[in-house]
Amino acid sequence: MHDFLFAMFVSELEDAVGRENCSTHPIDKLTHSVDYFWLSRMWTDSGCRMPEADVVVSPKDAQEVSKILKIANYYKMPVTTWGGGGGTQGGPLPVCGGIVLDTKRMNRIWQINTESMYIECGTGAIYKHIENAANEKGYATMHYPSSLNCSTVGGFLAHRGIGVVSTKYGKIDDMVLQMEVVLPNGDIIETSPAPKHAAGPDLNQIFIGSEGTLGVMTKAQMRIYVQPETRRFRAFLFKNMSDAFKAGKEILQKFKPSVMRLYDEAETGSIIKKIIGVSKSGAFMNIALEGVADIVAVEERILLETFKHFGAEDLGSEYGEKWWKEKITFFYPGHALDLPWMFGTMDTIAPFDKIEKIYWAMKEAVETNFPMARFIAHFSHWYEWGAMIYDRFIVEEPPQDPLEALRLHNQIWNCGVRAALANGGVVNDHHGVGIKLGRLMKEQYGPAMQVFEVLKRGLDTNNIMNPLKLGF
Amino acid sequence: MHLSQKNRETVDACRYCWMCRHICPLGNATGQERNTARARALGLSMVLRETETLENVIGNVYECSLCGACTKECLTGWNPVAMMLEVRCQAALEGVLPDNIRKLLNNIGKTGSIYAAQTLAPQLVKEIESLPPSADTLLFLGQHALYKNPNGAIAAIRLLKKAGVNFTVHKDEPDSGFALHFLAGAAEETRKAMQNCAKRLNDFKTVIAYEPDDAKLFLREYKEWNIAHTAEVKTWTTFLADLLDSGTLKPKKSDKTYTFQDPAALARDLDETQAARKILSACGVIREVLLHGKDTVLAGHAVMTEYLPETMTLVAENRWNDAVNTDADVLITASSAEYAALKNTQPKTIELLSLEEVLLRCCST
Ligand SMILES: Cc1cc2nc3c(=O)[nH]c(=O)nc-3n(C[C@H](O)[C@H](O)[C@H](O)COP(=O)(O)OP(=O)(O)OC[C@H]3O[C@@H](n4cnc5c(N)ncnc54)[C@H](O)[C@@H]3O)c2cc1C
Ligand code: SF4
Ligand code: SF4
Repeated sequence: MHDFLFAMFVSELEDAVGRENCSTHPIDKLTHSVDYFWLSRMWTDSGCRMPEADVVVSPKDAQEVSKILKIANYYKMPVTTWGGGGGTQGGPLPVCGGIVLDTKRMNRIWQINTESMYIECGTGAIYKHIENAANEKGYATMHYPSSLNCSTVGGFLAHRGIGVVSTKYGKIDDMVLQMEVVLPNGDIIETSPAPKHAAGPDLNQIFIGSEGTLGVMTKAQMRIYVQPETRRFRAFLFKNMSDAFKAGKEILQKFKPSVMRLYDEAETGSIIKKIIGVSKSGAFMNIALEGVADIVAVEERILLETFKHFGAEDLGSEYGEKWWKEKITFFYPGHALDLPWMFGTMDTIAPFDKIEKIYWAMKEAVETNFPMARFIAHFSHWYEWGAMIYDRFIVEEPPQDPLEALRLHNQIWNCGVRAALANGGVVNDHHGVGIKLGRLMKEQYGPAMQVFEVLKRGLDTNNIMNPLKLGF
Repeated sequence: MHLSQKNRETVDACRYCWMCRHICPLGNATGQERNTARARALGLSMVLRETETLENVIGNVYECSLCGACTKECLTGWNPVAMMLEVRCQAALEGVLPDNIRKLLNNIGKTGSIYAAQTLAPQLVKEIESLPPSADTLLFLGQHALYKNPNGAIAAIRLLKKAGVNFTVHKDEPDSGFALHFLAGAAEETRKAMQNCAKRLNDFKTVIAYEPDDAKLFLREYKEWNIAHTAEVKTWTTFLADLLDSGTLKPKKSDKTYTFQDPAALARDLDETQAARKILSACGVIREVLLHGKDTVLAGHAVMTEYLPETMTLVAENRWNDAVNTDADVLITASSAEYAALKNTQPKTIELLSLEEVLLRCCST
């Protein structure tokens, strides 16, 4: 774009959001060019620059978002929505330049509705802040991902995020009642006043998981819960993963624990040993039960009986409590996986009849094709019908050359995800797709992908919304 | 850019870490991604890799209040505050300071005060002149109270008089070095200002530091920098709490509810959170704001207000939201700078008082 035209474009954006909320300063462009995606980190660590936006805007509400999208359509400029930048898939990276629309000024808490048990907030609110607001009134959001401190309501919705007590309380897509969304053409809409209706398809679920490609979610009603009277932990050591799976499935037919985390032998022997201090070999499983104390007491008795039947060694409550206390310590520099290592989380989900097979298939595919890679996993979100795998590969000495590193990184991802797909898994469980996995979407969906494509073309006629993400 | 090994490691740790962003008062108030420890470190890491210039990131470094919330939050012990201070010093040495910062440093060079103020409010002068010219105890008011919040200074003097404390105040009080330290880190000028101030403190047995930022300097930085002073330094809050303990001040308890704005310098740097609470619980009922004590959130800043006034207004407004959520009758401050910032943004539904104002009220009824 010619300098003159660019100046005209920016002045229109300034008019929409105020000059102080519209920036072309290098620091704003730089900080919106690196998210939690390993490739963006590796690239900048190597002294290269990632693609940057031409301008960064921070609207305060849906009306300002609407104005921005109308301007973007007029100038045919890409718009990439940025929440906390804590995503791992390159979702908020402005890979085609244009506008970065940062949502964090849309952080107002509109109401804490204790009658209907939800908080209505701007989607730019950091989840920890809405948790604080709930806690102030004696409630809790029960969405406790490790990125509670850093990611936004909108970001979690856009990537279908999940927290550690999901087995009892659900995933983010179970926690939303109503949303306000700005469509790519700038129209502001509201989804149905209540979920679980029969008034046609669920509009919420069209935008949840859409990663900024179908519009900008600007307001959401997120569920809150009463604080549990008690939360009790119990850790177990299984001889092998198969027994642990059977035990996990059986317990879920009886009741729902809040935390359910099973670590494979490799992760038990590494991370769990280092941070929690369990030195025995086997598969470590941590369970939390919570709610009304009397009910929890009964659940605990059933848990002990059931797990005993599958040969689990009861490690008591101490390890679980330690894990709860340390659950986010794993993510601080010094404990978290970090450069110069190469690593990635290939989370996937499947019914019980496939999940174990997928685990072994992914492990074998990654370890045989890439002998330099280690493969570790845990299973942290369970349903009555199946579970997710949080599996990671780690390469301790990746190529120094950034292009070579990028190539190897993508090869490992292709290999691991294809092994999951071939055995009945999905591209991703809760981190989303972004630019990292877009190419694999068509492989999972086949002709079903056209449903998404038609929606995309119909809503975003100029293809300005977050181009090159989610396989669009 | 030169940076010590320790601070280089901090840059590398923080640049891709998101864990403390929720706590940054600047980030929360402005909603700007650049106002996070990770963004500041990312900018600096690109300077170290020579793909960005210090000129382009230095403004962002000065958007940090050095409040230490990120450092406190960091479970693995990284310290962005130390990193920012060293970068500020380097920027001064390399001559790449932003214009607004250079202007403040020039003010100090020319007048001894960032506020370029040389005259005190007449009412404050009168109050100071009513005190004995010499005493064992010095009330060190600090630059902000002297020039920007004379009413606070007057209330403090009146309270000590009421308690019968034998003390004095310098009309020509030296600069503690706080502003220089904040703006230029461990520069030679900062050391000189501190040494000059330390000499004056040595004339007293006890020094009461009214402003927590000055107290922090006297009790921590002066020691770390081997700037000796013989006076016993007490924070304003501890001194007042001692007056209650000794029965010198006897406040009457009311049914008012108070929430307390912990100054970061007291709560985090000096580990002092109880003195003010002791005073307030003698005057009424405390209703804590969710993030209090060591988790406190900045509400105002003596130096930043001078160069980022609009941003600091947002910071104060943000903190008011927390205070209002407590449903307390009054928000109480123990920092002159925070009092001023909060006064300018006060909502109608809640009162604002300094600790000395509460005590003056409760001790007179
Ligand atoms: C330390 C750490 C631990 C993590 N642990 C977990 C975990 O336990 N569970 C989990 O689920 N994830 C986890 N993540 C990943 C990350 O927190 C999630 O992917 C989260 O959903 C990203 O939200 P964000 O606000 O950071 O979004 P961003 O990274 O800024 O954006 C993510 C995507 O959402 C889109 N988007 C953002 N806001 C909106 C909006 N309002 N409307 C439309 N589109 C929008 C963006 O365009 C982008 O495509 C972790 C990340 C980190 C850094
Ligand atoms: S201070 Fe700690 S938590 Fe904050 S960015 Fe740095 S490493 Fe992360
Ligand atoms: S010291 Fe305070 S203002 Fe600076 S980055 Fe840390 S939390 Fe933010």
